[in-house]
Parts: sequence; structure tokens; C-alpha cells
Amino acid sequence: MKKRNHVFKLLLVLTFAVSLVLSGCSKEGGTKNSPETNKPGVTNEGESKGEDGFVFGETPIEFTFYGHYDWYTMNPWGEDEATSWIKENKKVNVTSINSGGGAQQKLSTMIASDSLPDVIWLDRGSDVEKLREAGKLVAFDDWLDKYPNMKEWVGESTINMLRSPDGKIYQFPNWYTTQPNGNSGYVVNKRIYEELGSPKLETFDDLHIYLKMVKDKYGNSVTPYDPGLSGQGIELMASGFANDFPTTYVGMRAVPENDKLTSLFSNPVYREMMVFANKLFNEKLITQDALTQTEDQVKEKMYSDRVAVFASSSPTEIAALADSMVKKANPNHPGFMMIWPLHKEGVDKTKVWPGDWGQLGWNVSVITKEHENPEQIFAFLDWFTGQEGQRTIFWGPEGLYWEGTNEEGGPLFNDRYFSENEKVAELMNTTNNFQWNGNTVFIDTRKAAIELTLPEEKRNWETKWQSEITWKTQFNSTPFINLHPSPDSDEGIIEQKIEDIYLETFSKALYANGEQEVLNILDKAEADAQKAGYVKLLEFQAKIWQNNVNTMNQQ
Amino acid sequence: MDKTVVKGFSRPQKSYWKRLASQWDIQLMVLPALLMIIVFQYIPMYGVLLGFQDYNLFKGFFDSPWVGFKHFIVFFNDSDFFRVMRNTIVISFLKLFIGFPAPIILALMLNEIGKLYFKRFIQTISYLPHFMSWVIVSGMVTSMLSTENGSINMLLVNLNIIEEPVNFLALPQYFWSILVAADVWKSIGFGSIIYLAAIAGVNPQMYEAASIDGASRFKQIYLITIPTIMPVIIIFMILAIGNLLNAGFEDILLLASPGIREVSDVIDVYVYRIGIENQRYSYATAIGLFKAVISVTLLAMANYAARRSGNSLW
Repeated sequence: MKKRNHVFKLLLVLTFAVSLVLSGCSKEGGTKNSPETNKPGVTNEGESKGEDGFVFGETPIEFTFYGHYDWYTMNPWGEDEATSWIKENKKVNVTSINSGGGAQQKLSTMIASDSLPDVIWLDRGSDVEKLREAGKLVAFDDWLDKYPNMKEWVGESTINMLRSPDGKIYQFPNWYTTQPNGNSGYVVNKRIYEELGSPKLETFDDLHIYLKMVKDKYGNSVTPYDPGLSGQGIELMASGFANDFPTTYVGMRAVPENDKLTSLFSNPVYREMMVFANKLFNEKLITQDALTQTEDQVKEKMYSDRVAVFASSSPTEIAALADSMVKKANPNHPGFMMIWPLHKEGVDKTKVWPGDWGQLGWNVSVITKEHENPEQIFAFLDWFTGQEGQRTIFWGPEGLYWEGTNEEGGPLFNDRYFSENEKVAELMNTTNNFQWNGNTVFIDTRKAAIELTLPEEKRNWETKWQSEITWKTQFNSTPFINLHPSPDSDEGIIEQKIEDIYLETFSKALYANGEQEVLNILDKAEADAQKAGYVKLLEFQAKIWQNNVNTMNQQ
Repeated sequence: MDKTVVKGFSRPQKSYWKRLASQWDIQLMVLPALLMIIVFQYIPMYGVLLGFQDYNLFKGFFDSPWVGFKHFIVFFNDSDFFRVMRNTIVISFLKLFIGFPAPIILALMLNEIGKLYFKRFIQTISYLPHFMSWVIVSGMVTSMLSTENGSINMLLVNLNIIEEPVNFLALPQYFWSILVAADVWKSIGFGSIIYLAAIAGVNPQMYEAASIDGASRFKQIYLITIPTIMPVIIIFMILAIGNLLNAGFEDILLLASPGIREVSDVIDVYVYRIGIENQRYSYATAIGLFKAVISVTLLAMANYAARRSGNSLW
């Protein structure tokens, strides 16, 4: 009897609960389904392709945009001068979907619940491929001739590199370029440099001597060498230990040799760099916080004038601000300067590449099949990357800070641009957030041309050093794009292991007790990597690299 | 609440349905709670089945292929397995041995303070850290331990204990101590509230009798306070043992750097890093399930041991 009672009670509770849950779910499902079936585009998609009288700038465009990064939160559309002009004059309205700090989970949730946004802004690679394979993305091929800008500015060769295995183009690149860009390099504090008698600073031996001088004179109050976040400024030293050994190879965890990729851990150039870095670190010439410090800590040191040499993969933003801050605090302070990338005695200084750039730029936007008329979105993105779009989003709408353009399409600035420095900077900081398919060549050449017209003291610190040093010392890494396998594939699992080994080794080698221990740690890393299947990964990546080279040669 | 329902089940006096009908209004109030548990705790449990699949986001649960114990085997054979298990167990035991008695000791100490204002003051500042998120706490720990302008290094250098600042967070030998210390600092005050409440329930006559008999303050603590609050301590001990494999997630994720993974990688962080961030959902689920099975086993064992003292959970 007792048992039966139990079963009854259980059943009762379950029936109650399940019926309530089910009714709850069905209601939710109902509201969710109805708008989808009511979408006009879904039913007449076939005949409406671009033939429904759509005119960009006249037909209102609405779409949702999702930036697939933990750190990315889109600014509200239409609340600054630039986007409100676009909203009004081009009738484009963008609704943001935010990652809330957990991009991977957010995207997975949207995929699993079949509620993808209209546009996803993300890194090239496995996520894009997975979405495409699942048939979620729209190809741009039919529209390339209809709208002029992508073809003109992105260019045939970059478009071909972006094509998916099925031969179609699904990705709209961001900050694509045909000329070098990038900021990687070494920044030197001029005050300290001059106080120490402006010694020669070209080779690593010079650097070593200089850092020791800094340490002797200033003790703990100045950081001799700050490598920025996660030891970036250490990794980039590798570029100076051999001709044509760009930092890119360290990032790839692989070194090309002929048409093969070989291990980084056993590479003599990398090993020599680690031994040197370990020496500096043990002599306390590199900050002991190198691998644990946060960006705020780096900024604080730079802004308060307590760093002698600062190196990182993009030191310019912090250095530019530090430059103006130390000068404001002390009018006699000469500020910061960049130096030509350091090298080992005997290495050709024109073959030192501390950073890299790629034709394909940074990341891409893809359009999903969620939108009833994806062509509208493409039309917008195409306009956005063109002259008018770029001018508007970069310098604000016409009439605000500029009036008319020169023959190259660059804006002609009015007085407000020069008198309202801070407001201009504020606008640029806000709209930078909307640079989804930035046109590097257009912006950079116009920007540099404007700088040249300014008097020396008004020139932008970043632009000055970019044109004098960094753009000349960045390596073209286009052949090495898309080397990352899908993370859940066999190669992906190996890559993840290698990545773990690399990070651990890098840190241990830095903390090691002298040269022999560094080499032992690297030997152990090599052995562990081989056990994890390094060769298989390198072969996989070499194939992609060779494919890229072939695609590039065909053009 | 579950407990009273179960007890009601086992002593039927009238017919069950009659009793249920007579108290239908009260039963109705239980329903939302039951529903909550079913919807948020039981229904999602089907998710553990992902651990036996090669789950593909686009195919969904029903179309993903079944692969049996593949992911478990991969995990057990992984070179990281022993390291992750060792760290999980060591960190949990450290937290248990140091973090568990700490609030009890604090509560006993607070109880001995005569001045009410002072007692309240200590209580308030000691439980405030509980309300700070780990992001803030780890930011504080990181900057305090930093070699440049970090307060702890400055103190140690000025006291001539060390010559050069040490980056404690980057050296594996210090990580466990830092972690446990931060954890104790953050949770000690809040944890002591429950014990203070239990101590407040001790009959004051016992203390009076003891002091007449000549028992010192320490003897009173040892012979009266602790035995009286023992049932509470045991219940919390059982719960703590059930949580043993929760060595921590946010604290480790935020305080550890890749260079010290050797000592910092625990199951939860590993699942997040390898499973969630790399979209290996099935692998992550399998490891999570493995952890849950061990936790339940530990809980049952602890409960069995506690039952002999008459203070078990069930």
C-alpha cells in the first residue's frame, strides 16, 4: 500500500508539473514562431531578390548586429553625429545584440535556439566556416557587380583569398589593405634617454647596456623595459635575432622552412631570443610583472613617466597619450619617441619585422539568412566601406568638421576641426566602435596627407611614428592567414595543447635560472609538443599556407 | 521543505487524497517551488547526455551522433588529467582545512568580545568582502602583490625581509597560499554569521554554572560552546565535503596566469578553458558529469560517517 501511495504522489506531482511546464513552453513557442512565419520576406524570397524596388538611401533598412567579442559592446546607433546622420539620410537603423562579456556562449546560444542576428562581426576562421557549412550565411557574389565599393576597394585579389571552399564569398573584411599598417615596435622615454646622454640604441647589446644604465641611475623608481601585456614586447624581440624572422612566426608557433613548417621550440632563433630575454629578466631589467600585469598597470606606469623602454604589439595608443600627459605635467619633458626596431649584431636592420599586416585586415562581417532581404544589408556595408561612408564614420558628417573634399576624396577641414580638438577626439572615439569594414588605404592615406599640412607640434604622435617607422617595419603575413583548425577537430585539439605548452614554456623560460635551464625547458616543451602531435598540426597548417601562396600567385 | 513532504508521506493517517484535498490551499503554495526545482534542476539534467554524444550545435541534441564513453576515455588518458585532479583535490582540501574552521574560530572569538559596539564593528567589516565580486578582489590582490608599487612588496622590502620585490603571483610555489588566503579573507565574516547565531542559542545558565564551578573562559568554549554547536558544524561539514571538488572557479580563473597552470588548473577552470571556449561541449559535459558523480559519492560517504554521530543530512 505504502509503495503504491508513493507512486501515486509522484505521478500526481509530475503530471501537475509537466502540464504546467508544457503549457508554459507552448505559449513561449507560440509567440516566438508567429512573427517568423509572418515575415514577408520568407514567403516571397524567391522572386524578391533585389527586384522589389529597393533603393539604398530611400528604402529604410533595419537590421540587428552582433559583435562576436567579449569586449565589444556596440554604441547606441544614432546617438552621435555620424550615425544619426546615416540614420536620417540613408535610412539605416542598426540594433545591437551584445555578447555581455561571454561571446562564445552567446553565439552558441543563438545558434542552438536558431535565433541568429542579421549580421555577425567576427574573426575569420572556423566559426565562419561552421556557419557557412550549416547554410546560415548569404553569399555576396550576385551583388559584387551591382554595388561598386567592395570590388573597388577590397579588390579582386583579397576577395579571392576570402572565398570559402565552395568558391563563394561570404565575408566582408575589416581594415583590409594593400599597403603595410600596424604599430608594433619600441617606444623610448626621451627624458630618461637624454638624461643618460642619448647613447646609441640599435642593437640588443646597446639595449642591454642602456637598460643597465637606467637601473643603476633610477633604481626601482623606473621600469627599464616594459613588454606590455602577456609579454608581447618580449616575443617581438625575436624579430631582431635573424634576418626575416618576423614576430608572426612566434605567434604562429611555427617557423617556415622551404615549403614546410617546423617547430618553434627547437628553432635556434627563438631559443636565442628566450635566452636573451631570460638574462634581462633575471637582471631585473624587464619588469617582474611582465606576465601578470593588467593594461591599467601598464598605463599607470607610462602615464606617470616611470618607463624607460616600452615595447608591445601596439604601443602607440598608450604612448601617444603618455606623450601628451608627461608634457602637460612637465612642459620641459621631451616626450616619447619610437626607435627603429632593435637587432642583433650582424642582422640587417631592414630585415627586422616586429609586427605584421595582412591584406585581409583584421576581421569580417557576415550576413545571415535571418534577414528578409539581405541585399539591403550588403548595400549598406558596401556604402559604408566606400568614400562617403568612411568619411562620415571617421570624420563625422559633412558640415560638422569638414566642408567638401579634395580630388582624392579626403575631407577639407573647417576651423571647428582645429579649434575643437577634444570634441573631434570624442567623436572619433565613439565612431571607432562602428568601424565594421574599415577601409585602411582610404583612411590612412587621407589621414597622412592631412598630417603633412599641419605644423610639427600639432601633428598626431601616432601618425608621425607610423609613417616614419612602424609601417616600414611590418611584415606581410597574408600567406599565413587562416592557419587555425576548427577547435573541435583533431588538429584543433592538438593546437590547443601546443598553445598550452607554449604559454607555460614562455613563462617558465623567462623565470628560469640561467641559459642552460632555459634550453632545458625548451627541450622539454619540444618533447611534450611532439607527444601531443605537433607534426600533424604543422603539416595541416603547411598545406593551408601553400594553398594561400598558390591563390596569391594566381593573381 | 522536501523533508517535511517526505515525512508527511511516510505517516499516512487518513487516506492520502483526503488529506491532500483538505489542505489543497497549502499544497498549492508548495507547487511553484516544486516546479522551480523540476524546471531548473531536473529537466536540464538531460543535458548530461551530451557527454555521450559528439554534440554539434547546428545538428542539435537529437541529430548529434552517440559515441558512448569516448570523451571520458579521452579525459582519463589526457596528459593533463593527473595534474588537474591533483590540483583540484589539493586546493579543495586546503580550502576545507583552513577555510572551514576559520569562521568558527572567528565566531568563537567574536562571542568573547564584551563590548557590543566593537563586536558589531568587527562583524561588519569582516563580512563586507563577501559582497565584492571576485573580479574586484582579484584586482586588489593583483595590485597588492605587484612588484611595482605593490603594497605587500613595498612592506617586505622596507622591513628588509626580501631584497628585491618578488612577483608572488607568477611563482607556482606561492599560488595555493595566495588563493586560500584570499578565499578566507573574502568568506570568513559571512561564514561566521551562522555560527554566531548557533552560539547565541546556547543556554546562558550553562555558562553561569560553569563559572561557578571555576571553569576558565577557554574551558567554557571548549566544554560548552563547541559541543553545543557541534550539530551545526557537522551539517556544514557534510555540505562542505559535498562541495569538495568545487575547488573554485572565478578566483582561480582571475588570479592564475598560464605560467603557473601546473598548480592552478582545476576541473572547473579546465572545463571552461578546454570545453566551453573551444566549443567542445560534449567533452566539457563528460568532465562535469565525472565531477558530479565523485561529488555525490563523497557527500554520501560524509553523510554515512556523520550518521554515526546522529547528525546526518538524511
